[in-house]
Amino acid sequence: MDFTMITQAAVQTFTLYNIALIFGGLLIGMVIGCIPGLSVTLGIILMLPLTYNMEDAASAIILMLAVYVGGMYGGSISAITLNTPGTNSAIATTFDGYPLARKGKVKKALDVSLFASTFGGLFSALLLLLCAQLITKAVSKFTSVEYFALGIMGISLIAGVSGESLPKALISGMLGLLMACIGKDSVTGVSRYAFGSNVLRYGINILPAMIALIALMQVVDKLREFRISGGKIKDANKIDNDGMTGPETKSILPACFKSSAIASILGAMPGVGGGVAQFMCYNEVRRSSKHPEEFGKGCLEGIAAAESSNNAVVGSAMIPLLTLGIPGDGVTALLLGAFMLHGITPGPTMFTKQGVMAYTIILGCLVANIFLFPIGKALTRAVAKVIQVRYTYLACAIIMFCFAGAFAASGHVKELILTAAILILSYVLTILDIDNTPLLLGMILEPIMEKYFVSASMAYDRDYSIFVRRPISLVILIITVVMVISMMRVNRRVNALNAEQEAAMAAEHEQMGSAEDAVRASETAKADVDASFEDSIADAVFEQEHITAKPDVKVNLDKDKP
Amino acid sequence: MKIKIKTNLVSGILMALFSGYMLYVMPKQVKVPAYDSGAPSPRIIPGICLIVILICSVVLIIESLIFKKEKIVEFDWNNEKPAILLIAILCIYVFLIIKIGFVLASAITFTVVLFYCGERKPFIYIFTIALAVGIYFLFTKVFHVSLPAGLLPF
Repeated sequence: MDFTMITQAAVQTFTLYNIALIFGGLLIGMVIGCIPGLSVTLGIILMLPLTYNMEDAASAIILMLAVYVGGMYGGSISAITLNTPGTNSAIATTFDGYPLARKGKVKKALDVSLFASTFGGLFSALLLLLCAQLITKAVSKFTSVEYFALGIMGISLIAGVSGESLPKALISGMLGLLMACIGKDSVTGVSRYAFGSNVLRYGINILPAMIALIALMQVVDKLREFRISGGKIKDANKIDNDGMTGPETKSILPACFKSSAIASILGAMPGVGGGVAQFMCYNEVRRSSKHPEEFGKGCLEGIAAAESSNNAVVGSAMIPLLTLGIPGDGVTALLLGAFMLHGITPGPTMFTKQGVMAYTIILGCLVANIFLFPIGKALTRAVAKVIQVRYTYLACAIIMFCFAGAFAASGHVKELILTAAILILSYVLTILDIDNTPLLLGMILEPIMEKYFVSASMAYDRDYSIFVRRPISLVILIITVVMVISMMRVNRRVNALNAEQEAAMAAEHEQMGSAEDAVRASETAKADVDASFEDSIADAVFEQEHITAKPDVKVNLDKDKP
Repeated sequence: MKIKIKTNLVSGILMALFSGYMLYVMPKQVKVPAYDSGAPSPRIIPGICLIVILICSVVLIIESLIFKKEKIVEFDWNNEKPAILLIAILCIYVFLIIKIGFVLASAITFTVVLFYCGERKPFIYIFTIALAVGIYFLFTKVFHVSLPAGLLPF
């Protein structure tokens, strides 16, 4: 590790301004993460226009990382209180978080979730700090040929793991590359596919594309649900005062450690996000636990496993992004977009040319994870109330902010027209069952890939066979093919598992609801029965429902064993 | 009204037509530079993308027609109508921002959106309009991004 750089970076990280950004980012992340239907990606996109005027690009990235970290924890708040995961990465948290909340131990569940989130986040941030320099040194011999191959690897992996059909994902990725090609070619100055239009002449900026593809599509989806359901909100469990005890903290430490370690390895592999890691970690911790039968009934280890894993992915997903310039999932793809908007190209050169900035970002990630604990402790109760805010208040604000943010990309109305056009395209693609994520990644990666492609071609006198003749490049391309094939298989299995588990969970919770109705009915009928006796019946019914419903989940989880 | 969409077949045909057309117009739309600077042709990357799209489209059509591998998405009009209407309203919103400015366009558009979503209490309408003014000033005064003022004098 380069301690001189780290010291310089520490001075830059611990400014009042950056600390305030981390606090703000964590809070915004928690709020956005805990609202079901609003993802961490939306939070990061909303931050982009805010960071436009920031002088230090590292501060901008730190703010977004804080939103990412806060969002990953925020997702668990609604998973526990409402049984609806705020983000996809918090699905496994509902398995144990919700049953524990139904037993009246909401605070305990939230405390475990916060502790595990902080543990996982810190674990992976430290790993990022330790590994970054090592990986950078290992790849320091890379030339533009290898970087181009890495770009192909990034886009192929995302295409390979998103959606069920590889041809559709490839079409999406290629559409993204093509859309980024539109406008003036930076090398030859030739106009490409502008069709004589002023809107297309200067190309499509990434910001309106990100806003339309991710943020606006999410809001439209959620508003549609609101319109169809009439805006009904589920009742949230009230937060009690009985928090986590010392011995309980000790008991979940092994689960946190195991889950963080597995998630860190998985998260560092491009194409695996928090959504996938949580199931693998939950399953592994359950398998090796002394009390596997308690999982799914409000087991603290279960919550710890799920929450450590999704926060551990934050730091480890930054490893390939910072060292190789390859984003691991949708969120890191957005972060790569943010890097580019601020004129930074992540990769090994970042550690040599902008080393202090690279370490400032890593330290910022570490500090955000440290601050998550006190902020979570102090503000979870307040943040949980946001779940009960009517969605229409938020939706209008988000849409206005999105369009204003898109306009800020160049200060020209063409950005607004492009945003609307990409929104329509995105909807058509959704109807055709084509995933948007590869498209977005293609758009973000194209300028980098084309830059390396041009330099490599010019250096080797337009000998395009160089991409398969240079050994490292060839190895990268071979690894790409092997990984895409194997990841597709894993992905298919995990997707099937997710769907089954979610279905099992829905059935289980429905049963829980009907059991409660039965208990309520019996309460009315036997009003004269002793109150304590009644409670015990309710508890018994609740427990019984859990025991009867659990085998489904166990069977499904077993399928995930590697 | 429900329509079953054979997504592999439909996306295969649409994308094949799209990539075919884009390849056809490439000579007109992507001109080769007048002098050779040693840089690769600007047609290479878009060309590769379009050819890959074309190949994938053909694969999808073959999967659907020959191997009968299909992913059918049910297009339920009752479910999709709100989404289509909302997207249409957002397109009109863009038009209005350009013509009458951000604040007025937001006030009109979101009144319609809120009414469509079933909101009837006046407070949410007042709150949203106030928010539009707030976001306008946030961007113009704090971020120095001049959002279209339109008909308003500020």
